Amino acid sequence: MSSFVVDKDGIKRYAVTVNVNGSDYTKVIKANTLLVNLLRDDLDLTGTKRGCELGDCGCCTVMLDGNPVNACLVLAIDCDGREITTIEGIQDGEDLDIVQEKFIEHAGFQCGFCTPGMIVSSRALLNENPSPTEYEVREAIAGNLCRCTGYVNIVAAVLDAAENL
Amino acid sequence: MYLPDFEYYAPDSIAEACQLLSQFGAKAKVLAGGTDMVVKMKNELLAPEVVVSVKNLEQLKKIEYVAGKGVCVGALCTHNDLVKSDVLKERYPSVANAARQMANNQVRNRGTVGGNISNAVPSADLPPIFIALNATAKLVGTKGERTVAMEDLFTGPGKTVMAQDELIAEVFIPDQKMTGSNYIKFGLRKSGALAVVGVAVAVQVENGVIKDARVALGAVAATPVRAKKTEEFLKGKNATDDVLAEAGVIASGECKPISDIRASAEYRTDLVRIFTKRALRKAVDEGHV
Amino acid sequence: MKQDYSYVGKSVDRNDSYGKTTGHAQYTADLKFPGMLYGKLIRSTIAHGRIKSIDTSEAEKLNGVKAIITAKDVPSMKWGLSPARFDENIFCIDKVRYHGDKIGAVCAVDEETVYKALKLIKVEYEELPAVFTWQDAAKEGAPQIFEEYPGNLNTEIHHHFGDVDAALKDAYYVRTDKFQGQRTYHAFIENHASAAYWDGDRAFLYSSCQSVHYVQYHLCRVLGMKMGNLTVRQTNVGAGFGGKLDPTGLDFAAVILSKITGQPVKMWYDHAETFLNGRGRHPMTMELTTGVDKNGKILAHKFDCVLEGGAYTGLGIASSYYAGSLLGVLYLIDNYKFDCRRYVTNLPPCGAQRGHGQPQPRFAFEHHIDLVGEAIGVDPIDMRLINARKGNSITTAGYEVKSYNLVGANKMARDASGWTEKRGKMGVGRGIGVGNGGFVTGAGFCQYRTDYPHSVGMVKIFDDGTRAYVYSNAVDIGQGSDTVLMQMAAEAMGYPYERCQMVTGDTDLSTLDFGAYASRQTLMAGWAVKRAGAEVKKKVLAKACEMLKASGRIKEGFGYLDGPLTPEDLDCVEGIVFVKQEPAVKLTFEEVARKYFVDHGVLLGRGWYHPGKLGGNHKGAAVGTSPAYSSATQVAEVQVDMETGQIECVDTWDVHDSGTIINPKLFHGQVHGAFYMGVGETIWEEVKFDKKTGKLLNGNFAEYRLPTALDMPPVESLTLDDSYEPNGPYGLKEVGEGATTPTMGAVANAIYDAMGVSMTELPITYEKVWRALRDKKASGK
Repeated sequence: MSSFVVDKDGIKRYAVTVNVNGSDYTKVIKANTLLVNLLRDDLDLTGTKRGCELGDCGCCTVMLDGNPVNACLVLAIDCDGREITTIEGIQDGEDLDIVQEKFIEHAGFQCGFCTPGMIVSSRALLNENPSPTEYEVREAIAGNLCRCTGYVNIVAAVLDAAENL
Repeated sequence: MYLPDFEYYAPDSIAEACQLLSQFGAKAKVLAGGTDMVVKMKNELLAPEVVVSVKNLEQLKKIEYVAGKGVCVGALCTHNDLVKSDVLKERYPSVANAARQMANNQVRNRGTVGGNISNAVPSADLPPIFIALNATAKLVGTKGERTVAMEDLFTGPGKTVMAQDELIAEVFIPDQKMTGSNYIKFGLRKSGALAVVGVAVAVQVENGVIKDARVALGAVAATPVRAKKTEEFLKGKNATDDVLAEAGVIASGECKPISDIRASAEYRTDLVRIFTKRALRKAVDEGHV
Repeated sequence: MKQDYSYVGKSVDRNDSYGKTTGHAQYTADLKFPGMLYGKLIRSTIAHGRIKSIDTSEAEKLNGVKAIITAKDVPSMKWGLSPARFDENIFCIDKVRYHGDKIGAVCAVDEETVYKALKLIKVEYEELPAVFTWQDAAKEGAPQIFEEYPGNLNTEIHHHFGDVDAALKDAYYVRTDKFQGQRTYHAFIENHASAAYWDGDRAFLYSSCQSVHYVQYHLCRVLGMKMGNLTVRQTNVGAGFGGKLDPTGLDFAAVILSKITGQPVKMWYDHAETFLNGRGRHPMTMELTTGVDKNGKILAHKFDCVLEGGAYTGLGIASSYYAGSLLGVLYLIDNYKFDCRRYVTNLPPCGAQRGHGQPQPRFAFEHHIDLVGEAIGVDPIDMRLINARKGNSITTAGYEVKSYNLVGANKMARDASGWTEKRGKMGVGRGIGVGNGGFVTGAGFCQYRTDYPHSVGMVKIFDDGTRAYVYSNAVDIGQGSDTVLMQMAAEAMGYPYERCQMVTGDTDLSTLDFGAYASRQTLMAGWAVKRAGAEVKKKVLAKACEMLKASGRIKEGFGYLDGPLTPEDLDCVEGIVFVKQEPAVKLTFEEVARKYFVDHGVLLGRGWYHPGKLGGNHKGAAVGTSPAYSSATQVAEVQVDMETGQIECVDTWDVHDSGTIINPKLFHGQVHGAFYMGVGETIWEEVKFDKKTGKLLNGNFAEYRLPTALDMPPVESLTLDDSYEPNGPYGLKEVGEGATTPTMGAVANAIYDAMGVSMTELPITYEKVWRALRDKKASGK
């Protein structure tokens, strides 16, 4: 169990350590803090978006120990000691990941709000399945809603990225 | 949106978890994947004062075949654990396929078998196929453990026979004579939709004759239900299209759906007819798909 | 007319590519300011009633709450996006008019405290009877929602061109059909957000909006501020589709709360509140009557339309006019009668959504005309070819149409889709259908009354010539307007696109533009930045001429020169200035620009655009008149499960007559997204309310079902090579909205072809299809 202090209202505040994009961060949070808020408010990683906040739109998608999850439905305290990859951790230094490059090449985004989650879902798919079928791509991103693109260029970008891994 | 404050515990053993549930009684709720519970808390449908996170109960995260007995699915396996399980792919792809149809990929990575069952949502995707395969649930509480048939677990929407201090530890699918099984989910889009109707069937077919059948229906009654008249009708019949169609008609008479924002009772009733027929055809022709 | 261009017509990458693919792109909700407070609106929990009292005392006691405001704390001037009807207050003064109406706002030190404070605020109401359908609103003795709209009638329109009754009398075949549309909404993924702070008497507002100018104008009007005292800015906008054009309660409240507290305030909507903010598609009840000759030529058409408007007007008057004003652009109809009424109800207000008032009438007409054609034995595409408008013509209503190749679009869509081999030949359950549409390329008038130009642009070259700043407050809500505006400016300047940068989203720093609506920016802001770029080029060529002459490299009578070197002898392409007759004699744009800076200071180009007087003199002509009209044909192929009613859209084709295409990859993206919204509205999407309380039932993406990646078909997006619009810069016209207008008709017609029953009510859900098939079977037909 994480260590905690009790604030003047009697609420426990826990010291939680998460590894985000390769670095450990220790933050003092309440148990009701959601992962999405830890990332955005405490770590200033605002690439992870807040959209529907109910697990339907996918714009807060991050990898938790490699698996894409909705950060709006995960308690930050449940992530103590675990590894998180956000959109900010997809690129390697100044080099964009192939998925990012292909999203740009195919214009697989417009307003960009779903894009971080979309890219995280796509990258997680390719990590597990480097040569997905079109159906598998669509299935992997079916939890990421995009109102702008009709998914047409997104699907093309992910398939193209798979061919160029 | 936000979550109200709560006391948080993350026990290291099942016994400790049960002890906490017993200690706090109705104030406490178990948190596994959170894909249902956190949503309910945000929507102010649930405000537990104590949250017992079961994230540390590693022993509940395995899928194993016990030789000569059956498949044991740990309650903390996520839906995607089922989808990716070699054991299930080999023995019951129908279970993996049912898991694959739940919600979306992110939710399948968090939502657990135990959560899907214990929330007792009538439209849940796993209970019908577990019922069709005659699965049981192992419940563990402060007073020990017990085994309950999946079909006896549910008592109403959101209600089960589980005591306040009990957890689901595992689901057990026994070795069986059923030669095929199948679950068809009908939702209003292809992903991220609750089942308007879910039909699971298991059949034992020998030389074209149906020796045994189990049919379970989801989203068409207060709990997942077995269509027992349909099962009786099927026994001993040849698996012809006419027979399976007739079975569908009987099944549609065995459900008691409600009308809601997603579909009318009338529509659901007819969908039961259609999908019972189709699921039977697949189970007869293709095995456990 | 087409030339070789350096940047126009090229699929360059979006200018926001890096930020949007790495998570670094900021949206309003991502902003943080030192000492920032967080705020939300207080909303009505009943549909209609008088506010008796508001008790904020418990909330005020909560540790961390900084301010709570209600109507008594803010100006009472009414506003609305269109001056046709100003009927909205910042916060409800006497009455609430829908479940979710704005009552006040709270701000506190953190988000959680705001939510807790909201729960502690008690509002007492005297509840009034409410109406949730136009039919109930129109009843004798119905509860009166606004004093100014007797009988709840918000507007009515009666247009009559030619003589419909006489023409119908002479028709070979006359048919009447009725259709019902549904309430949908934009469903952008970024919820509205606003953040404000003050510096002395100057306020600064960040708004997730489609027009910084309209937000600035309306806030200043209501708050009694000089426009020079309120700066409206924006970061990236997570799409709009019409839903972020009206200023929101967040915009007003953030500015006011920030003034009261002396601290920056950020406000945001939860997702369900974006439904309550509304401004989405009006549900329309439509009756269409058409008379044709035996070849299918339309002799007369009568369109009766009633809109359920929700609680306030917003853009609803324009939506009403758009319902009828563009049919005569698509098809040649000499005799046309359009009668329309819009009623207010106790639901969130309806407004503009991609295609504005047009998509549901397009659905109705496109299905109706198929039924007419079927009755007289004419193929659907032939029906459209016979009646399609051609270019360089004037509509019955007086609109001037320059380029228009609807005929070409239909033929190309027919050939690409395999229409002739497929139509009626694919067996039960499989069908193919066609629909036509199109849109204005910008409106002829500002939404409030002004003589301002519609778009103003500027280009500033950096001191040493190594960067070009392109100024325009056109709003990139995702469609890619920044990218295409820079392509056009770069082309006009002869400067590398890669070295251009947008200065936008700031009413102080950048230049006026009315914003992202009516598919206007590429044409209007395009003209402004193209002209600004051309002015820069003119200055550069003049300076280069001077430099070349001074250098002694060019001598009079040099073979190819008749007289002294003039700027007209030079050109500039991709950053190189050269003598046209002798391209080897050249200077770089950079060195010329630097010299210009040394000699004269800043190198600036300015441009502006006003559409001038456009066609149409009847009342309401302002809604529909435009410098240019796009046209489009879509074909959809569907599979219908004849037992369950499940519909799968399996393949689609779009041909958009869009003039010159500035950036093909962004253009096709617009078509894909437009089809996506259209197919969603056809089959899956509908905003639902409790019939007794008017409470929103499906304010989430689980029950408001956008198609997922598994539901969306592939889209083959095709273009007409010879499309060129003389009224558009580089010959362009719109794509963003026009491409969503044919979709519902095309998909509905495909469903009809597959199942043999006409579906006239949107959305065409699986259950409705199941029911229709069951009823058909029962009737034995």
